[in-house]
Amino acid sequence: MTETPSTPEARPKRRISEDWAATLTGLFLLALCLIGVIPEGLIP
Amino acid sequence: MSATSPDPEARTTETAQATEPDAAPGRAPAGAASAWLWTAIGLAVVLGLASTTRFLESWVPSTAEGTALGGFAEAVEYPVYAILLGLTGNLVLSLTGLRDRLAPAFKTEFFIKTGLVLLGSTVLFDVIIRAAGPAVLQALFLVTGVFLFAWWIGGLLGLDDRLRALLASAVSICGVSAAIAAAGAAQAKKEQLAYVASLVILFAVPSIFLLPWLVELMGLDNAQAGAWIGGNIDTTAAVAASGAIVGEEALQIASIVKATQNVLMGVVAVALTAYFAFKVAPAEGRSSAGRPGLRTLWDRFPKFVLGFLVASIVATLWANSGPADAEAGLDTASALRDWFLIAAFTSIGLEFKLGSLREAGWRPIGLFAAATVFNLLLGLALAVVLFRGFVF
Repeated sequence: MTETPSTPEARPKRRISEDWAATLTGLFLLALCLIGVIPEGLIP
Repeated sequence: MSATSPDPEARTTETAQATEPDAAPGRAPAGAASAWLWTAIGLAVVLGLASTTRFLESWVPSTAEGTALGGFAEAVEYPVYAILLGLTGNLVLSLTGLRDRLAPAFKTEFFIKTGLVLLGSTVLFDVIIRAAGPAVLQALFLVTGVFLFAWWIGGLLGLDDRLRALLASAVSICGVSAAIAAAGAAQAKKEQLAYVASLVILFAVPSIFLLPWLVELMGLDNAQAGAWIGGNIDTTAAVAASGAIVGEEALQIASIVKATQNVLMGVVAVALTAYFAFKVAPAEGRSSAGRPGLRTLWDRFPKFVLGFLVASIVATLWANSGPADAEAGLDTASALRDWFLIAAFTSIGLEFKLGSLREAGWRPIGLFAAATVFNLLLGLALAVVLFRGFVF
C-alpha cells in the first residue's frame, strides 16, 4: 500500500469549519425566526 | 453521470483542479469571480429544484385526487420528489457538461446539518432526554457489532487494512463523514476514500425508499421505525429523507439516533489512529501518523449535534415561557428547516456519482452488502427492543 500523502489528512479542518458554519447558520436563523426578523408567512 | 467521487470535499478538490488554469498568476481574480458565479448559478439550481419539490408535493395529490393513482400520490412524501428531481438535474447537467462547474453549490452536508440544527427547534428537549438512553445503547451495540463484522469479512476477503477500516467505519457509523475520519486516521489513499464514498451513496439512495416500505410491511411504530432507519442508513441526509417519508415522529427519532452515532465517530477515529500508529505503521517499517488524543476526539466531534441540542433547549424554553405568539416563530423555523432538508435531498440526487466504483472489483461491494444486511438485522432487533413503547 502506498503512502500517498492523504488529502484526507487535510480534510478534517475543512470539515470542521463546514460543521461549525452549519451549526452557527442554523442557530442564527432560529434566533431570527424567534425574534420575528423573519416574519411568519415569509417562508412558504 | 459524472465519473468522480460523491464526496463533497473530494469534489471541491476536483473542481479546484478542473479550474486550475484560471488560478494561473495574473488570472486569479477572474477565475475566482467565475467560480463565484458558477456557485451562485448552482445555488439557484438547488433553490429551483427545491421550489419545484414544494410545488409538486401539493400539486400532484390534488391533481390525482379521485383517480386510480390518488392514494399513491397522497402517500408520496417530499423527499421522493426532491431526490428524483436531483437525479434528473444531475443527468441533465452531466449531459450538458455543466455539472462539475456547478458542483460546489451542491452542499449536501451543509444543508443537512443546518436543517438538523433547525430540526432541533421542533423536538421537545424531554423527547431527546428520553430517547438518549436507548439511542446511546443502540449506537454502542450497533457501531461495535457492525464495525467488527465488516472488519472480519474484510479479512476473509483479503482486503487491505486501510480499505477495511474505511469500509467498516462507513457502514457502521455515518457514511462519508466516517470514511473521511477513518481515512485521516488510517492514512488511506484518496482513491480508496473516493471509492468508499461512492459505495455509501450507492447503498444509501435505494435505502431511502426501501426502509420506509419495510417499516410499513413489518408494522413498526414511529419510534422503532425512526430508530431502525437512523441506525442503518449511512449518510445523515439519507436518514433524514427516509425518516421524513415515514413521518415527523420517525424523522425526530431517526435524527436523534443518527446524531448519537455521529458522536461515536470521534471515538472510532481515535481507536483507528491508535491501531494504525502503533500496530500497522511499525509493522510496515515506517513512521506513524501521530498519537491520538483528546484533540482528535474533539476534532472529529460533529459540532452540529451541539447546535441541535441548543436549538431544542431554546425552543422548549421559548415555547414554555416565551411571548404569547411564541409558536409563530417556531413555525417559521420549522418551515425554514423543511427548505434546508429539501435542499439537502435534491443535493443527494445532484451529487450522485458511481465512477470510482468501476475500478475496485466486487470484494468491497460484497463486504459492504454483507455488512449492510447484518446492520439491518441487528439494527432491527435493537430498535424493536430498545424503543418498544416509546411515547412522544
